[in-house]
Amino acid sequence: MEFDYLATVLLSSLASASILLIATIGLAVVFGLMGVINLAHGEFLMIGAYTALTATQAGVPFLLSIPIAVAVTMAIGAVIEILVINRLYGRIFDTMLATWGISIAFYQLAVLIFGTVTPGIGMPQYSIKIGDYNLAGYSLLMIFVAALMGSFVYLLMTRTVYGMKARASIQEPAMARAIGIESSRVNTMTFSLGCGLAGFAGAILLPIVPATPSMGFAFVIKAFLTVVVAGPVTLTGSAIAAIGLGGGASITASFLTSVAGDVFFFLITAVLLWLFPLGITAGWRRKM
Amino acid sequence: MNMLQVLNEKAGLVFPAISILTGLALANSIDPYLAYVATSWVIFGLLGLSLDIVWGRGGFLSLAQTAFYGLGGYFGSVAAINLSFVFGSSVIWSLSVGMISGALIAGALGLIIFYARMGPLQSTILSYTFTLLLWSVSQSFKIRLGDAVIGGDNGMSGIPGIVLAGGTEALDPKGALTFTILVAGAAYFVTYKVMTGTFGRVIDCVRLDIQKTELLGYDVRRYQVLNFAFSGGIAGLAGALFGAWSNYLNPSIFSVQEALLVPIYVLVGGLGTLAGPFVGAIAIGGLSFWLGGGAVGGQTTLILGIVLVLLVLFLKNGVLGALRQGMARLLPDPNEASRNAGAVSIETGDLEGILQAAEEKEGPAKALSSAGLLKKFGGVVPVNDVTLSFEPGKPHSLIGPNGAGKSSFLKTCVGLYKPDGGHVTLGGEPITNATIYSRVHTGMGVKNQKPQVFSELKVRDNLWIAAFSRLRDKRQAHDVATTILDMLGLTEQADVTASALSHGQQQWLDIGMVLCLAPRVVLLDEPAAGMTNEETRELAKLVRILARFTTVIVVEHDMEFVRTLQGHVTVLHQGEVFADGDIDQLRADERVLDIYLGRREHV
Amino acid sequence: MKTRAIKIGLLASVCLVTGVQAEVKIGAIYDLTGGLNIYGIQQNNALKLAVDNINSNGGLLGEQIQVVGYDAQSELSKYTQYVNTAILRDKIDALFAGLTSSSREAIRPIVRKANIPYFYASLYEGGACDKQTFVTGTSASQQLSVLIEWGIRKYGPKIYIMAPDYNFGTISAHWVHEFANQSGGEVVGEDFLALTVTDYAPTIQKIQAAKPDFVVALPVGANQTGFLEQFAAAGLKEKIGVVSTNYGSGNQQVVVSPAAGKELIASQGYFQQVENPANAKFVEMWQAAYGDDTPIVSGAVDTWNAVNLWAQAVSQAGTTDADEVIKALESGMTFDSPTGPVQLSPGSHHLIQTIFVAEGDDNHGFKIVDEFVGIKPTYEDQKCDLIENPDLAKHFTPDQN
Repeated sequence: MEFDYLATVLLSSLASASILLIATIGLAVVFGLMGVINLAHGEFLMIGAYTALTATQAGVPFLLSIPIAVAVTMAIGAVIEILVINRLYGRIFDTMLATWGISIAFYQLAVLIFGTVTPGIGMPQYSIKIGDYNLAGYSLLMIFVAALMGSFVYLLMTRTVYGMKARASIQEPAMARAIGIESSRVNTMTFSLGCGLAGFAGAILLPIVPATPSMGFAFVIKAFLTVVVAGPVTLTGSAIAAIGLGGGASITASFLTSVAGDVFFFLITAVLLWLFPLGITAGWRRKM
Repeated sequence: MNMLQVLNEKAGLVFPAISILTGLALANSIDPYLAYVATSWVIFGLLGLSLDIVWGRGGFLSLAQTAFYGLGGYFGSVAAINLSFVFGSSVIWSLSVGMISGALIAGALGLIIFYARMGPLQSTILSYTFTLLLWSVSQSFKIRLGDAVIGGDNGMSGIPGIVLAGGTEALDPKGALTFTILVAGAAYFVTYKVMTGTFGRVIDCVRLDIQKTELLGYDVRRYQVLNFAFSGGIAGLAGALFGAWSNYLNPSIFSVQEALLVPIYVLVGGLGTLAGPFVGAIAIGGLSFWLGGGAVGGQTTLILGIVLVLLVLFLKNGVLGALRQGMARLLPDPNEASRNAGAVSIETGDLEGILQAAEEKEGPAKALSSAGLLKKFGGVVPVNDVTLSFEPGKPHSLIGPNGAGKSSFLKTCVGLYKPDGGHVTLGGEPITNATIYSRVHTGMGVKNQKPQVFSELKVRDNLWIAAFSRLRDKRQAHDVATTILDMLGLTEQADVTASALSHGQQQWLDIGMVLCLAPRVVLLDEPAAGMTNEETRELAKLVRILARFTTVIVVEHDMEFVRTLQGHVTVLHQGEVFADGDIDQLRADERVLDIYLGRREHV
Repeated sequence: MKTRAIKIGLLASVCLVTGVQAEVKIGAIYDLTGGLNIYGIQQNNALKLAVDNINSNGGLLGEQIQVVGYDAQSELSKYTQYVNTAILRDKIDALFAGLTSSSREAIRPIVRKANIPYFYASLYEGGACDKQTFVTGTSASQQLSVLIEWGIRKYGPKIYIMAPDYNFGTISAHWVHEFANQSGGEVVGEDFLALTVTDYAPTIQKIQAAKPDFVVALPVGANQTGFLEQFAAAGLKEKIGVVSTNYGSGNQQVVVSPAAGKELIASQGYFQQVENPANAKFVEMWQAAYGDDTPIVSGAVDTWNAVNLWAQAVSQAGTTDADEVIKALESGMTFDSPTGPVQLSPGSHHLIQTIFVAEGDDNHGFKIVDEFVGIKPTYEDQKCDLIENPDLAKHFTPDQN
């Protein structure tokens, strides 16, 4: 095996893992801090993508369209939390089913509003060369974006008052209430944040994954397998699981077939759950 | 009992029977196209039933039901294609092979899920992964099995319809509907029988409190796997019927949409009602048929999505659940008796009688001992090289300040924690690595700190299920439960739902369940917590009598309670045995006071 | 236990929709909602347009054609259900339905049993063969026979295949190999992708390692656009050509960015840009009815052709009786379609039609660069002769026969 091929495979697999992580972080935050699996996560990604797309079509530069997408998805997320999730607190499977209902409703709404035909915005035509091989620059940029997103969420959770409250609400709910933290408001904030992160992902990935009503399905399955494999220490766990599963699948696909990559992903997920029935971070003492 | 109460008791038999008869009558009078479409709704209802068994009753939301359904369909149809010439019947082969393969595959998956002791979310996700994996693999899976050709995404064609016997002609739509209703009805009644019988009761207990069920001596994982296999069998049966209905199968049967439709059927009809999924499937099938057929370009998906959200929010118990609640309002409140219950007072005579009978049947008390027992959690060592022996005769108390490792030691002896070193023996038998339920069979009885009762079961049934675990005989279990009810003074409350009892009464009920096991060694974890002074006095009396017949170990930090037990006391500190003796000796010991008061020298 | 009331309610509502039996009635079952509705809506629109056109010109056998429409919701079990409903309840005379191969395979046994002419209007992997089924879309071998030769001439002999891992992909890959051999080309690598793949980095690495002259890219729908974006962004378009038989069959050219879509080669039985009088008239009618927001796809024209061919056959037979209509359809029927003249091959029930090669422009459109008139469904004609052997009911695939 030539060295330059190996290097490109590793680099592009890391980029694949980063894309998975970007798509996953919002889900991980909501799961980690609220114990809720948001099956509509993929549709928030889609909403983010469509918002950014609509904004760019209206003449807003792509970079500015990203915060707009975040704001829109956060707002919709907050409304959904207040109307639905709030009433189902502690009923994890009911929440899953309700968010699944939301997901198919959003999907069909997107079909109604945007139709099935919407133009993509294209990837920046910039690539780097390693030996004989080209790599798309924008995909590689995702490695940094994933790292930035991860650090942002980590700092938000450990260094801000909101983060302290959010973690207190999940770890010591009774104590949190006793010292006056309104957990329902914190939850609204957390869910909204999770949706905002999904919106960010949808917008930043728009050049790679064109906006279509069904784009959510493609991501959400792997994203939520990643979160579940990650276990209770969601952020660090998701990063490790995304790199292991996403990167591993990508490397497998590079040397074998793409189908083998997918099978690798699902099989390793099953094996990890067998070995770590509560997720890979179940025994850890870290908190984020 | 008046008519209404009888109807309420037998609702699960009467209404389905009426529905089936009406369905059969209708099947022969409606248009063939409607009979044809309605057949699929009945099949989906059967698929929903399989989920209700494992989710509504077993408490595990499985998203693999469509996998068993699809595999049952494929295997059953391959059998039907190749073997129909034997006996000239397709359904004999497709239904039996579909059912067996569904059950075997579910059983195998269940072994992985339940024996790995996965968390509930992880179990659900793994079942979902299984379905997704099948969907992925089946897209390009091509094989020829005799006359059956499985052609990847092009699926398998030429599946024979319902051919009963001797013929080659498949049943017409009306006949097919009649046959499907009969098969589904039979499956329903078998399920009803199983789920209202002993197996079903244990499954209910597993859902309500799996740990307590195991502490009563049931091999819960075996029950879970069997229940899952049973549900897989029903799903496989439904799949085989589906194959015969559509004459064609393809990988979309494993798709995400299919998988997630099944919980909707169950929720619409009513979780845990068994008949509900049929109501749900017919309602959803009808809605979707009407929307798809009536309004071209209609927004079926949108409507289904919103319906699901509204259902989860506002109709948690589904159609049948809501009906049942309405019916319950017409009946006298069975929990009435819980309100006029007096304070518990133990019938000492009864208790001694029970304990004597237990000793005669189960043999003398057994000693429990640990040697060099070790348990670590990361850097924390809550049980550090503990060697202790507990003999019958006097109550043993384990005391120590918070974090001394008392409860951890108890949990390691019970098997709730796996020890990292050392040995545990019960009556001389090594049980270090034995499962919890086998320890219970050897004679261990455990009562945890919080009251563990099966909230939805009646008080009598709580005791019965405990007694049945030991006796394996319905009659005898009933007698033991009645004796214990009398002893606890809860006879009046026998038909009250356990969750309606007060906290204190639940503690007594829990202790009563432990006594039903006729244990040879009893472990009580802070039994006096949350009890009134009066109750604590009764408890002390009970423990003292108990200790005359069995070995009793009490973990406690209420020193006053420990004193009234007049037994042997061991002090644990930082996971190690710190001091030993009777309570007055220890009270005079400066070192014990030091650790309790947090004074320097021995901390 | 409320089963009863619900059943009766449904019965009542279903009975209400049952109308009076019309003389000429056709069934239309397409995916109007769900993931496949990009295609389904256009097929349904084309069918309505064709029926309206016939009806406004005096109808068929002096009767207006009635359409019974169902939304299959992109779910396979719905096809089975609605086909049976359409046959048992609505007593249709002909059926127009389905997009995916699995929907077609689900339908075929039912129409065969009921003896109803069935028209499948979509490009597909080829090989479907029975007396009642008529295919108006192009088969994989039909398109590839033209495209591979064209690609080798334009780019060079080394070919890389990337295809979805199901029948359409694997069978198409088989034909790529076959036609590459015939035209002096060589397949230097191939990759089959699961339907869930969104990340094409591994495939792109493998393509670079194989150093082909051009790639035959066959993934479906959104997957394809994702691949094309990533391929273009890696800067490979200058070095390696991309050709496809299904690019442009849905909305891909609109979704894909101009940078990625430019100079892509697609071969189809129809592009909206085709220049002939029939197409000019067709496009005008279409845009009058549905606007010009979305480009017309080949599946729409295949449906248009199907309805018109059937109507022609009914007129010729003078009855809607299935056996007579099928006999008429097998008489070498021709039709002046928007794709140019087409002829129904009597033996195989497939269309002899024009295959176009078009190049993507930088404005989400196509420019037709080449056309090949009268391309025969050679493989189907060779395997499937329903005149000689009317009882054939098979699905021929090249790897099994």
